[in-house]
Amino acid sequence: MTELARAIEALLFIAPEPLDQPTLMEITDESPAEVNRALDELRERHAESTGLELAEVAGGWALRTRADLAPICDRLRARPREDRLSPAALETLAVVAYLEPVTRREIGRLRGVDVDSTVTSLLDRGLIEEGDRAQPSGPARYQTTTHFLERFGLARRGDLPTLERFELTGPEAQAIRARLQQAELIAEAETGEP
Amino acid sequence: MPALDSSAALTQQVEIDLFQGPFDLLLTLLLRDEVDLLELPLADLVEESVTTDTDERWDLDASSQLVLLLAAMADLKGRRMLGEEVEDEPGPDAIAMREALSARLVAYAPFQRAAHWLAERLRAAQGPRYRRVPPGTAAPVPVRDDPARLRAAMDKMVEAPPVPSLDHMGVARRPLPELLGRLRESIARLREVSFESMVVDCDRLEEALTLLAALELVRRGEAELRQDVPFGDILITGVR
Repeated sequence: MTELARAIEALLFIAPEPLDQPTLMEITDESPAEVNRALDELRERHAESTGLELAEVAGGWALRTRADLAPICDRLRARPREDRLSPAALETLAVVAYLEPVTRREIGRLRGVDVDSTVTSLLDRGLIEEGDRAQPSGPARYQTTTHFLERFGLARRGDLPTLERFELTGPEAQAIRARLQQAELIAEAETGEP
Repeated sequence: MPALDSSAALTQQVEIDLFQGPFDLLLTLLLRDEVDLLELPLADLVEESVTTDTDERWDLDASSQLVLLLAAMADLKGRRMLGEEVEDEPGPDAIAMREALSARLVAYAPFQRAAHWLAERLRAAQGPRYRRVPPGTAAPVPVRDDPARLRAAMDKMVEAPPVPSLDHMGVARRPLPELLGRLRESIARLREVSFESMVVDCDRLEEALTLLAALELVRRGEAELRQDVPFGDILITGVR
C-alpha cells in the first residue's frame, strides 16, 4: 500500500463527514490523479473480507461498516432512529429531488394537494432545505440536503435515475384514461347524473 | 301537474300486448320497475286508452287526467332514452376534464415511481454505519482543567437580573401616609381646613389621594367632612 493510500485511509478513518476529493487533495498536497489512484487502492484493500468498505456518498468518500454488520454495530451504539417516511413524504421528496430548487407552490401544483405540512416535516427531518430564491422577495425554493444523500446512499446530487425512466409507456397512460372513464361511469350510475 | 284522485282514469281497463288490466296496476308495476318503461309501447297504450266505445259517456275529467298521465309517461320515457345516449357520448366539457385529469396523472406518475425507487433505496442504505458521534454525547467538556473559568461562567448564569426600571410609569409621588400626616397636622393647627386650600398646587392624582386621606381620617373618627353645596369646597374639621 502506498504512503498516500495509508494517509487517506487514516483521514477517512477519523473524519466524521465524507471527505471530497478537493479536501483530500488539499490535505495531502497531491494531484487528483494520485488521490484517485490511492482511493482505488483503498477500495481494493477493503473489497471483500474486511469489516469496512470505501463508499462514495453525499459528495465525498467515507469509510463505513458493511451492511451485514449492522446488528453487531448497533449493540455498541443504538441504531439511529429511522422515522418512517410516509408515501406522501417520499413523493414530495422525489419531486424536490428531481426539480430542485422548487417552490411549495410548484410542488403543490404537481401533487394536486396542499403540501405545506409535508414540506415542513421534510425540513424538520433535515432532508430538504431552503436554497437560493429566484428573486430576493420571491418564494422560498427547496432543495435536498447532504443528509438526504447520505440517508439514501446517493453519491451526489443528481445521482438519481433519469425521470424518463419512470415515465409511463403509451399503453400504461391509456390504461389510466380507461380507468378514469370507468370511474366516471360508475359515479354517474351512482348519482344518476351525467 | 294536478293531483290525481282515484277517478275513472285509473280504473280504466287497458289491453295491450305487454299488459292487460286496470291502468293503476300498470302504473304500480312501472313504479316498481317490474315493467320497463322503455319496453312499454306507449303508442298502443294511447290508442287503447283514448279510443273508447262510442256508447260510453265521455267523461271529461277522467279523460284529461288520463291524457296527463300518458303525457308524463311519454316525457319520462323520452328522457330516459335521451339519458342513455348522453352516457354513451359525454359532452365536450366532460371529455376535456377527463383529458386534463389524465394528463395530470400521467405527468405525476414518474414522481410516484421515483418515490418507490427512493423507498427501496432507503431500505438498501440502512445497513452501513458511519463514524459519527451520536448526538447529545459529543459536547466536549470545555474547561475541565480551569475551575475558575467554569465558576465565572456559572456566576453569570446564577446572577440576579437587574431590577427593571418603573420610571416611565406614573407612580404616585406622595404616598397616602404622607398626605395623611400632612392633613392631620393642618387640622391640629387650624382645627378646620378647606379641601381646596390643601390641593392648591396638586395635580389630579394628588387631589384624589388627598380626598382619600380625608376620607380615611373620617373613617378613623379623627375628622368630619362638610360640603355645603354640591361640587363646592369641602371643609375638613378635626374631631376632639
